Amino acid sequence: MMDLMDARHTPVIAHGQEGADDQAMDQALMLRVRDLAKDFTLHNQGGTVIPVVAGVSLDLARGEAVILTGVSGAGKSTVLRMLYGNYRPTRGTVEVRHGGRLIDLVSARPRTVLALRRSTLGWVSQFLRVIPRVPTIEIVKDPLLARGVDDDEATQRASAMLRRLNLPERLWRLAPATFSGGEQQRVNIARSFVDPAPILLLDEPTASLDGDNRRIVVDLINEARHDGAAIVGIFHDEETRERVATRHFDLSQYRAAP
Amino acid sequence: MTAPAQQHYNYAYLDEQSKRMIRRAILKAVAIPGYQVPFASREMPLARGWGTGGMQVTAALIGPSDTLKVIDQGADDTTNAVSIRRFFSRVAHVATTEKTRAASVIQTRHRIPETPLSAGQIIVYQVPMPEPLRKLEASERETRKMHGYGEYGLMHVKLYEDIARYGHVATSYDYPVAVAERYVTAPSPIPKFDNPKMNMSPALQLFGAGREKRIYAIPPHTRVRSLDFEDHPFTVQRWSTPCALCGTTKTYLDEVVIDDRGGRMFVCSDSEYCEERREAGHAGAMLASAEAMKLVDARQPEDAP
Amino acid sequence: MSAAAQPSLADDAAPVLSVEGLTKLYGDRIGCRDISFSLWPGEVLGIVGESGSGKSTLLRCLAGLARPSAGRIAITLEGESFDLFALDEPTRRRLMRTAWGIVHQSPRDGLRMGISAGGNVGERLIDAGSRHYGDIRAAAEDWLGRVEIDSSRIDDRPGQFSGGMQQRLQIARVLVSGPRIVFMDEPTGGLDVSVQARLLDLLRVLVRDLGIAAVIVTHDLAVARLLTDRLIVMKDGHVVEEGLTDQVLDDPHHAYTQLLTSAVLT
Repeated sequence: MMDLMDARHTPVIAHGQEGADDQAMDQALMLRVRDLAKDFTLHNQGGTVIPVVAGVSLDLARGEAVILTGVSGAGKSTVLRMLYGNYRPTRGTVEVRHGGRLIDLVSARPRTVLALRRSTLGWVSQFLRVIPRVPTIEIVKDPLLARGVDDDEATQRASAMLRRLNLPERLWRLAPATFSGGEQQRVNIARSFVDPAPILLLDEPTASLDGDNRRIVVDLINEARHDGAAIVGIFHDEETRERVATRHFDLSQYRAAP
Repeated sequence: MTAPAQQHYNYAYLDEQSKRMIRRAILKAVAIPGYQVPFASREMPLARGWGTGGMQVTAALIGPSDTLKVIDQGADDTTNAVSIRRFFSRVAHVATTEKTRAASVIQTRHRIPETPLSAGQIIVYQVPMPEPLRKLEASERETRKMHGYGEYGLMHVKLYEDIARYGHVATSYDYPVAVAERYVTAPSPIPKFDNPKMNMSPALQLFGAGREKRIYAIPPHTRVRSLDFEDHPFTVQRWSTPCALCGTTKTYLDEVVIDDRGGRMFVCSDSEYCEERREAGHAGAMLASAEAMKLVDARQPEDAP
Repeated sequence: MSAAAQPSLADDAAPVLSVEGLTKLYGDRIGCRDISFSLWPGEVLGIVGESGSGKSTLLRCLAGLARPSAGRIAITLEGESFDLFALDEPTRRRLMRTAWGIVHQSPRDGLRMGISAGGNVGERLIDAGSRHYGDIRAAAEDWLGRVEIDSSRIDDRPGQFSGGMQQRLQIARVLVSGPRIVFMDEPTGGLDVSVQARLLDLLRVLVRDLGIAAVIVTHDLAVARLLTDRLIVMKDGHVVEEGLTDQVLDDPHHAYTQLLTSAVLT
C-alpha cells in the first residue's frame, strides 16, 4: 500500500519543456490513452450499434489540466467514464500511473481497478454519494484518515475546507442527507479536495453552484494542479473552462463513423 | 421356589431373545458412556412412561441371586415402587429390600439414595426424556449430529437464558451433565442435588427410556460433570433447616404438610436413609411430635408419577 | 472507506474464497453451471438475477449447505487453503458457525425464536468456546448496540421485535464471532424501503470496518449498487456478465443485463 501513497508526494517534475529528458517526461506521465473507442450495442433494440468515439489518444502529465470539449453527444462524458473504468472501452487502452509503472485499466482485474480508484483516480461530480447517516465532518475527514493522517490534523484540515466552501458550521455534525443540493455538492467538493487524488476526473463539478462558490472550486482545482495533480475535466461553463484549462482536447474530431 | 401361578411367564417376564437384545444394548451403552443406544422397547404390563424402560433394563440383568430395591421419589413405600418390587419378586423370584446397602440392583425414579453406592451395585434409572437437547432442537436428525460432533453450545445457551432471566441457573432437576467429557447426557429427573453422586461412582449406572426406546449408561468410576459457566459455577440445593425427623443437614429434603392449618416440616426425601438414622438414635426437632401424631408411620407419597 | 478495508494492488494476496467450475444439478435440471470467481478479504460480491436464475443455488453451495455436483470451492483462512467439500462434516459445520456467516432472507431461518436476543448473539461465542457468562453478555450487549438495538431489549425474544430489528439481530448474531466470509440472501427482502435503507447503511459500514468478504444475493439492483464492489449477473444457471458493479450497471454488455438494468431505476 505504501507505494500508492508515495505517488502523491513525488515532487512535480517539469515537463513538456524543451530539453527535458525522456526520463523526466516519463516520470511526469500520469495517464496514457491509446486508440480508445466506444460503441454501445443495444441488444434489446435489434442489436443496434451506436458508435460514440474512436481513435482517442491522449497523454496527461502531472500539473496538466485537459478540458474535453466538443458538441453535445461528442462523447465527452463517455470518454471521462472510460478513464475511470466505469464504461468498458470497445478498443484501446487507458494506462494509469501507479508508483513506478503504468497499469492498463481496461485489462486490469476488477479489484485492481478498485484499488486504483482508491489510490490514484478521483472522480468529482456534482453529486454526493456517501453513507447517509455519517456526519458531514466525518465524510470530509475520511480520505485523510484512510491515509493515516491523525485525527486532530484531519479535523483541522476538513474544517478549513468546509469553512472555505462556506458551509455553515452548524451543519458539520449533521449527515448531509437533508441538505440542499448546493450544500451536498459542496460537501462532495470538500471531500474530493481535502486530499486530492493524483489524477482528478472532473464531471461538471461546478454545475449549479453560484458564482462565489464556483470561483472557490476553480481555485481548489488550480491549487491541486499546482500541487501536482493531473486533471481531465468537462465544464459546461465557458469562463470556468478557461480558468482551469492548460490544454483543450476537442473530441469532435474523434467522432466514430456511424 | 417357583409358584405355579407364574409358570405362564418366562423368567423375569421378558422372553430370552428380548432380554438378549436389551443386554446387547446395555453392553454397547457401557462401552460408550453417555451415548443413547436405541433398542426395541417391549410392552410391559403397565403403560409406557411409567417406568417401563427401567423395568426392561432390570428384567434383562436380574437373576435369582439378586436383591432388588425400588424407590420412587426417594421412598420405598410409594405405590409405584411397591408394585414394581412385587412384580419382580413374582416374575424373577428375587429377594427385595428397602436397605440401600443390602441391594444388588436398585431401580429408581427421581432420586439417587443418600447412602453412597458401592462397587458391584447397579442403579437403574427410569427415564422419561433421554435427549437433553430435545427441548432446544426438535429434529432428531440434527440432535444426533450434534451428539456425534460434540456440538453442545446450545446447552450453554439454555443455561445463559436461565441466568439472564432468573439470575441463576433455574434448572433444578434433570440438570444436564457431560459424561467422560464426551456425551452430554440427561441424568433423568433427579434433583440436581444428586448430580455430584453420579461423578466417579463405584456403582454401574444404567438408564432406560421405554417410551423413547433408548438405553444409556455411566460405567463405574466415570467422570460426570454438571454443565456450568466459569462465573456461574454449578451448585446444589441447600436448606436452612435440618431434617425435622432425623436432624441431618446432608440430604435432599421434601416439604411435608402435617395438618390442615398450614403446619409443615422438611424431612429427608430418602425415607430409608432417614429411618436408618432414627434407628441409630438421631432425632430431629419434630420427631417426637411426628411420632405422637403417627406421621412417621402414616407418611404417604406426595404425588403420583 | 477505511485503510484496513483497502485491497492491495498486489495480486499476490490470496483470495479468501475461490470458486472453480462450480456446477449443481438437480437431476436433469441445472441449478447453476460452471461458475468461477474469486473473492478477496474486504470485498463485497453481488450475485443478481431473477428468481430461478440459480443465484440461490450458488449461494447454498458457497455457504456449505448444498454439495455441488462438480467443481471446487477453495477457502483460505489464516494462510491455510482447503476444499470446502473435502472437509469432513464436523469441521465444515464448525467453520460455518465461526469463520462463516449466513444472513438468511427470513430472520426465522437465522434466529432461534424461542431464545432471547442476548442468547441468540451469545450462541456463536459459546460455539467458539466461551464459557464465561459475563463475557458473553457483555459481547452481546456490545453487538446489539452496534446494530442499533437498545441494550434494554437484550432479554426479549426476537418475536417481540419488528422485522427490521430481527434482521439486525441476525446480523449481530453472525458478526459476533468475527467471521471472514458472510453470505447474505436477499438481506433486505420483505422490509419497508426506509427500514431497508437503514439496514443497508449498517451492513455497508460493518462490512467495511471489519474487512469482511461478503457475497450478497439479491434481485434488487439498487441494493447491489449500494453494497457491492463487484457483480455477477446470472441467468438460467450460468453467469452472463461480471465486472465492477458500476461497470455492469452503467455499461451493461449482455442483452439480459441490459434488459435487467432498463427494467428498474437505479
